[in-house]
Parts: sequence; C-alpha cells; structure tokens
Amino acid sequence: MYELKAVHKRYGLAKVALRKIDLTVRDKEFLVIYGPAGAGKSTILNILAGITRPTTGDVLRDGVSILHLPPERRDAAMAFENYALYSHLSVGENLAFPLHARGMARAEIDQRVKRIAEILGIGHLLDRRPGFLSGGQRQRVALGRAIIRPADIYLLDEPVGHLDAKLRHKIRAELKALADDLNATVVFTTTSSREALALGDRVAVLNQGRLEQIGTPADLYHRPANAFVASFVGDPPMSFITVEPRREADRVAFVTPDGMPVATLRADALDGLRPADASIQVGFRSNEVRLAQQGDSAALRGRVDVIEHLGHSKIALVGIGRDQVSVSVPAHTSIHVGEEVAIAFPRDAVHLFQDARAVVHAVPSV
Amino acid sequence: MASIKATGLVKRYGTVKAVHGIDFEIADGEFVAILGPSGCGKSSTMRMIAGLETVSEGTIEIDGKVVNDVRARDRNVAMSFESYALYPTISIYENIAFPLRSAGMNADEIDRRVRDIAEKMELVPLLGLKPQGLSSGQAQRVGLARALVRKPSVFLLDEPISHLDTRQRYRMRRFIKQLHQQYHYTMIYVTHDQEEALALADRVMVMSNGLIQQMAPPDEIYARPVNAFVAGFVGEPPINFFDCRLARDGGRWTLAFEGQTLTLPERLSDKAAQLGSEALAAVRPHFLSIGANGPLVLEGKVFVTEELQDQNLVMVDVGKVRFTLVAHPSVRPRRGEVVPLTIDADHLLLFPQDNSRRIDDDLAA
Repeated sequence: MYELKAVHKRYGLAKVALRKIDLTVRDKEFLVIYGPAGAGKSTILNILAGITRPTTGDVLRDGVSILHLPPERRDAAMAFENYALYSHLSVGENLAFPLHARGMARAEIDQRVKRIAEILGIGHLLDRRPGFLSGGQRQRVALGRAIIRPADIYLLDEPVGHLDAKLRHKIRAELKALADDLNATVVFTTTSSREALALGDRVAVLNQGRLEQIGTPADLYHRPANAFVASFVGDPPMSFITVEPRREADRVAFVTPDGMPVATLRADALDGLRPADASIQVGFRSNEVRLAQQGDSAALRGRVDVIEHLGHSKIALVGIGRDQVSVSVPAHTSIHVGEEVAIAFPRDAVHLFQDARAVVHAVPSV
Repeated sequence: MASIKATGLVKRYGTVKAVHGIDFEIADGEFVAILGPSGCGKSSTMRMIAGLETVSEGTIEIDGKVVNDVRARDRNVAMSFESYALYPTISIYENIAFPLRSAGMNADEIDRRVRDIAEKMELVPLLGLKPQGLSSGQAQRVGLARALVRKPSVFLLDEPISHLDTRQRYRMRRFIKQLHQQYHYTMIYVTHDQEEALALADRVMVMSNGLIQQMAPPDEIYARPVNAFVAGFVGEPPINFFDCRLARDGGRWTLAFEGQTLTLPERLSDKAAQLGSEALAAVRPHFLSIGANGPLVLEGKVFVTEELQDQNLVMVDVGKVRFTLVAHPSVRPRRGEVVPLTIDADHLLLFPQDNSRRIDDDLAA
C-alpha cells in the first residue's frame, strides 16, 4: 500500500502542481488518475517513483516513509508519456533490458519478450531501432518495457495516449487482463473518460492539483461529488439545467427560469439544500433522457441546436433557455437542427447540484 | 463563401506519390471531414487546397476558378494546424489579433473580435499570457481562435482538437459545429479520429493510400461502408472482422470459421455467390449479443468485460479471433466463461478477403 499524505508540490514560486493531496494506492488495485491536462497527474506518478520530491507532505509504503529512498531502490516500473527508449538498442533489446538487469536466464527473457511483444502488436518490430518507429509504436515499446518485469508498483503515464482508437481499444483490454493475471498494483493516468471507467478498480479525479473525488467507476458515474466530476466522467459529459426551487407542502419542485418543471423531489431528501440564494442545477446524462412521446407527462421543450453522429447513435444538443442538454437517440431517428422537441426524463434519474456541490443523486435502478 | 473542386489531383514528392489522382467537389457552405490514417494523403490534399503545396497534376478550383498558380495568401483560406505554431514573444491576445493587424483592420474592431472569440473559446483568462506557459490543449485552442478570427471564406482545420480531454473535446466540437451552422463557412476538417469526423461533418471523405475510398454523409459511411477499409476505420468500438470460408449447401450459403458453421441469411446469397469460397466477414459490436438469440450463433470464451456504466464492452474469443460486443450494464459474464454469441443476421457484412490485408495490423500508429 502506498500513501500520499498532505502532499503539496510547487514548481518555482508560482506554479502549484499538487495542493495537499491525500491519496492511497491499495495493494493489487488498478488505480486510474483521471484529469485534464495540467491537473498534476504526472507529478503524482513522479512522486511515487521518487523522481520528484514533494515540497511538503510525506509518501509512505506500508506505513513507512520512503521520502529518502532514491528511485532505483523503490521497485517501481514506469512508462513515460515521452517514451525515453534506448535509441542504440533494438526494440527487442529495449524490452529485454529490465530483465537482463535482473540477471534472468536468456531463454526466459526471450520467452517474455515474445509474449509482451505479441500482446502489444509489436512482434514484427523486434529488430528495429526506436528511431525507425512511429510515435504509437515507440509508445507501445515503452509500455512493454515497463510491464515486462515484476515490480512492486507499475506507474503508467498516459501509456496509450498516442495510439489510434483501434489499438487503444485492443491494448486496453490486454492491459486489464494482464493486471488481473499478475495481481499487479497499477497507477495509470489518462485524459479519456472511457479509459478511466474501463480500466479502474478505482478512479481518482484530479483537477488543478486538487483531488475532486476518488471512488469506483460506479461511484463517480452515478454519485459524482460535484459538478466538475459530473461533467468530466462519462462520454458524452453530463448536461445541466439551471433551476429555481419552489416548495409545495412536503415536496420541492425545481423549475427553469421560464417556469418549466424539471424535477420534483421529496423535501426530506433535500437535507443538504440551503435556502436558495445560490445557483441550483439539475444534471442529466444523455442516456437518462429521451425525446418525449405522446402521453409523457413531464416534458421540457426546447430547440435542437446541434446534431452529432456517433455511428450507432446520435446526440441531439437541445437548447432549453440558456442551457443545452444532450439527448442520445438511435441513429435512424429523424431529427433536424432547428426543430422544436420535448424531452422526457425518468423521475428517479436526477442529479441535483447547489453551488456546484452535489446535493442529491437519485440513481436509476439497473 | 466558396465551393471547391478537385479534378485528377495528384501530389508527388520526388518519386513518392502521396495523392494518386482524386476527384471531389465541396459545395459552398459545406462541412467536409477528410478522414484517414497517417500517410493516407489527407494532409497533402489539404495543403494543396491551401496553396502550401504545388499541385503535381490535375486542378483545384475555388468558386469555379483554377487556383493552381494562385498564392496561398491570395486564396482567402484560413488554417489551424496541429502544430499550432504560435508566436512565442507576443501575448495570446496579440497572437489572435495578428492576422487582423496584418490585414490592416482598425483597433476597435480587432479588440471586439478578439474578445468575442476568446470568450467563446474560454481563452479570456489567458489573453495576457505568453504562449510558453500554455498546456498543449490551451495552445491548440489559441491556434484555432487565430484561424477563426479572420472569418475567411474557407476554413481548413488540421487535427485542431486532437490533444483535448473528453469534456473539452465535446465543447470544442460543438463550438466548431455551431460556428459553421451560424456563418455557413465552407469548412474542411482533416483528422485521423473517426469520432470527430462523424460528429462534425455533413460529409466524410475517407482516404487511404492516396485514394478516396468513400465520400458520403456520416450515417451512410457507418451503415453502408463500401469496403473493408472504411468499415474498419469507422466505428467505436471498432467493427469485428473474421476470415471465413463460404460454401453452397443445397439452396443456402454457409459460412465456416474456427470450426463453426453458420447458415447465411437469404439477403447475403448473391453477395456470397459473387465472392466465391473465401470472404472477410464483419459485424459491428452493437449487433452482437450474448445468448442464443437468432439463427447465427457462435460459441466463445469471455476474455474481459469493461464496465463503462452506461454500457458494458465484452470481449469474447472465438478461436483466435477476439470479438467485442456492446451490452447492457447488467450483462457481466465472468472471465473464461463459455458463452453463446449471436450475430444479428440483418447486420452481417461480407467483403472480399484481398481488401482485408491492409486493415488489421498497424494501420496508423
């Protein structure tokens, strides 16, 4: 188990990379650190590896501080976003390097190199030098060199970020299976929501050096702690409508500024809601809402601003007052930009935010 | 506003041919995405339209006039590059204002336009900074803002949003699309990302090996790919391919693969007859399901399930072939479990095998 305790990292005088982060990496878990560019993801990996020293705070392994331990004594296997391969060695020699360094027998090394190269689809490149590879091929070699050897912890910094969609899909599955098989402890960074949800046993959402939320993919998706997590986890992102509360006996109705009802909730479910001087928003996922049919009671009316094809489905971005809501519809649905539509939503699929903090989530039953 | 027409367009670099003689027309106000892997000729095509590359053979017309010999700056074509070359010594504000100052616009109008575009693209807090402090995503947005601020007659966008995270990608994509809907610029968007191409464009031009493979609206590209290359390049998760043998059994055609045999639906009889004994079969992940739900049932072994919350992606191995299917979040088969796998008979595709070789391995990366 690794722990970051109140880790703060400043570069120079002005740039703060991490702000008092508390983070635990459990044994044998696949932890994804997910956040936008500049969030501090790589800094966490570098601190775990011992390459970067925190400005303040402590790093523990199984309860013991490892701040003083240099990288070479930490047994962390790392894949960098910028590859860092040995340019004078072939792909095969690059992959074998960490195994030679451990004095493994030649036959065993060959076998492992072959297996990893096959998994990553670089078996035909073993004799080439890194300089003759594409960026995506180099990235796969860097990933292979990290995962080829046993290690206490694997630190993978956007290791598939430069691959095309098809390869990313393939290697993602292999990586998940491999981590399972090896019972490995992995910390993996990404800017892709899909990757974070697909791979993580837990996902830590990082933003501007702050930990916004850490939890299972289901926690983050169904019970986001705040509007940032809600809009950052899930593809397409959650949409929001600004509403005003209207108390009606034991219920509170939330209506748009134009008076359209969005949701009605029982007042006792709204303990966290403060008297309304702050902005309140209702969040929807694109698959939690649909185009209204005749007979739907509650419906929001709006106008289609944008239609995005996604192959099997398309997303209609519907303008409602000053907000826009994404609605996922089957690809064959006839719908046009400029069309007036009504949106229906199941009453239990509501996410309510006040001042961007989550107040209540009514999770749809699966 | 401008229409574009290419006739017999060829680009050679020395003895290497990048574009092999292509024809296309882009209507005034149309939004076209040029989609393909690296080295397919898409960037060369765009650069010839912009006037940054000479045309080796054939012609490019803008609004009916051949522009082969018209200089780039006289074409009223604006571009945003992947490598967003920003001027390092001046502020973001001045970077965006640069094309307007060069055009001699008055200061008030420049200020209005710069602030307007900066607000739309969430660049206001950055206006006073120099480029060196920016993340790559931010730099990309500045590059885009600088191209858009001129309001030219043709926009060429070369992978403008490839480095952004999921949320920014949606935001930028919708911004670009609304911009197009509002002003009806003729837009050409060059990308290797099929999702961007489908989401944005009125029509997608899929290129490979210097040739246009298909040019059609997004729904048609996805549902009726003309060949295996297009089928394989478009769609997320990617389409499932498997080599198979075809045979006639009485009145019906059968498909044999990894020791299992399926009877083909009537719909595919003519296609099968035309292909002969070997074919490349394909089915999209949405048209596969776990369970025996129809006539086309295979047996496979579960490799991995990815729970994306709104849907699950299940990888199932049938012999040496790994299939991906999209399932409801409640479908969570165990790793190693042997399951029946049904192909939706209405959505099985067959292609000739010779078209398949260039699909599987190492396309771009």
